[in-house]
Amino acid sequence: MTAAGVPSSRYLSSIPASPAISSAVQRVLGYIDDLPAGATGALNFGLHGMILLQSRKICWAVARTMRLRLSDLLRNQSTPPVSREAVEEVYRRCKSSGTPIGEALVASGLATEAGLRAALFKHNGDAIVALARAGAAPDDWVTHTKPGYDPKYSFSACEVLAMVGALDDPARAAAAQVELASMLVADSVGAAFTRGTDASGALVIAVDRGCDFAVADLVGTCNWVAGLFDVAQTFDQEVFAARVHFGTQAGLVTWRSTDVGYVGMCGSRAAAARLVSRLSERGVRASGVMPRGSHERESPA
Amino acid sequence: MSAPLLRCAVASMRHGLLLPEHAESDAAPELEELAATLPEVFGTADPGCLERVAARLGAEQGGGNFSQVLFLSDSRVHVIQALERRAGEALVAVSPSGRSVGLVLSQVQARAAELEEER
Repeated sequence: MTAAGVPSSRYLSSIPASPAISSAVQRVLGYIDDLPAGATGALNFGLHGMILLQSRKICWAVARTMRLRLSDLLRNQSTPPVSREAVEEVYRRCKSSGTPIGEALVASGLATEAGLRAALFKHNGDAIVALARAGAAPDDWVTHTKPGYDPKYSFSACEVLAMVGALDDPARAAAAQVELASMLVADSVGAAFTRGTDASGALVIAVDRGCDFAVADLVGTCNWVAGLFDVAQTFDQEVFAARVHFGTQAGLVTWRSTDVGYVGMCGSRAAAARLVSRLSERGVRASGVMPRGSHERESPA
Repeated sequence: MSAPLLRCAVASMRHGLLLPEHAESDAAPELEELAATLPEVFGTADPGCLERVAARLGAEQGGGNFSQVLFLSDSRVHVIQALERRAGEALVAVSPSGRSVGLVLSQVQARAAELEEER
């Protein structure tokens, strides 16, 4: 995986990019967001499949209609692929010991941690898309009492939403991921989004790993900050960034580069001020062209 | 550093119009244009959504209402400052960019405090 939320080219998806699929996935992820904070257990979708959650993060998902298995994804990470026999040997040992297969493959050297995370991300994302396309709805929630998954192999609903949004233009999504990584400051998390020509609103294409909001809130926030830029055009067409203070401490910072919008959600006003300073120093503009003048560093307000 | 030139006025959030009693006699057109966006800026935000976002960020609880919006462009800094003690009113301000944004914000907050004291 090149960065959280963006599959490497080895994992190019067979899922077609479509606002309808993104909307359907948002519906399925909404079921997860509706669970109480810290929910750990299995969300069952009848005969369609299930999603395993730990602290409301996605650890494992499976859908009846899926074609690729996790073991296939892991085998194909290396060239030549790891032999099926080697993977099956680890699988047999895991079955008798109860060890998770992925983690056993890492321990045996047949997969790397990054490779396992990428393969799990792809597998779980594909399963959730399959559930969404089938129109599946949960019919049962079974609470699990003890955690069994390593948190580093779990994913937020926002990460899965971004994975689906990225399918429209993987190169653009990868660039957006790099932009987020380079601009976000401590105590902030962020997302990148585009807006299509239809009325479906913001399409989230990248998030950083800390981005763990309800997907409806993330999309709602992206839509709202996109609207801020629209109204800003009426009084100043050169506006390249905006900052909003809300509540007593939190702040949003939004900026655009070429045709991608970004939002940094900050847990403190100092973090929002640092992000604005960083943007000002770089001189991001809506056009993506460097500005004529430079901007002085803002002191935290 | 000399104080940046700051032009400001009070406007109605609901109607997007400058309030004549607080507008400078030669209110800059950019202030009128900024004021005109207030119904859209304040009317389209979902306070519940912002409050949930703030809660997940671990920010101190304080509701989802926002108090200040800052727009940065190559040539100007635009500020909308909601006036806490004057319901439905906001201070709108414009200053040339290229100077300290922090200083502009300090001036806006000082002016907002004066206006709220007048009430």
